Amino acid sequence: MHDLIQKLTALPWDQAPQWLFLLPALLMLLAAAAAVMLRNLIHCALCLTLSFIALGVLFIALGAEFVGFVQLLVYVGAVTMLILFAILLTPASEVAASNNPFRAFQLSKAINAALGGGVALLVLAGLLAAIFFSPHAREAVPPAVAATAPAKAIGENLLNHTLLPLQGTAILLTAALIGAALLAKEERPS
Amino acid sequence: MMLQVLLAISAVLFCFGLLAALTRSNAIMVLIGIEMMLGAGNLNFIAFWKFSAHPEALTGVLFAIFSIALAAAEAAVGLAIIIQVHRRLRSVDVNAAHQLKG
Repeated sequence: MHDLIQKLTALPWDQAPQWLFLLPALLMLLAAAAAVMLRNLIHCALCLTLSFIALGVLFIALGAEFVGFVQLLVYVGAVTMLILFAILLTPASEVAASNNPFRAFQLSKAINAALGGGVALLVLAGLLAAIFFSPHAREAVPPAVAATAPAKAIGENLLNHTLLPLQGTAILLTAALIGAALLAKEERPS
Repeated sequence: MMLQVLLAISAVLFCFGLLAALTRSNAIMVLIGIEMMLGAGNLNFIAFWKFSAHPEALTGVLFAIFSIALAAAEAAVGLAIIIQVHRRLRSVDVNAAHQLKG
């Protein structure tokens, strides 16, 4: 294992072609498409996990190692596990959906999918037009220097410049997790 | 050009998330779509940090870290609400939760 890590780090990574980052990006988009299209919820959640792993690898490839590992820990380790547990705790039943008084006014599944797809395509076209054809798109972008975000510098920045937001986030996370536990708790008749 | 390719990738991911949030009627799939859109936002932060004039200021990296923390809080509360809705309505279909409709 140690030898393998040494061999991997000795490879000439800085001479790797620039398009290499497209591989995790492609994997991420394929997995995201599968997560949207698949019918089985468990398959959707597993494809989402794969997509998040590829996104973390992409972050690492772009030089933001710390964010990449945070992404892997938080999204892959925690959020998708939460989603899987929620899927297992909420088995599908057709009882409630069938006595919906608004059912007659609901659009059929095909129209719903067409409308949603149309809106998503419209947003995508707008975003791509803004990215590639806006006047700012022709401005020179500073060349990507070998930007790195060492964990030490991130920690110093967090504690020196963004201490208040950091503490706010800590309070928010605590409140959100206590609130989530209270919300999901079974109500006992007193 | 690299920056634009990255932004385009992030735009496609965002639209997959939007598609999931708009077309699926299962509340968990809506939440999955929202998570995808947040991931696309994080990718934008990292891309703009990588191609900024002062990457040593780490602004985009710090933004991405805070946004990941907020996304985790959002997912926890959202899934707790979904579990409570399922307990009351025996369904996670967003069309079944219509008591507050006017």
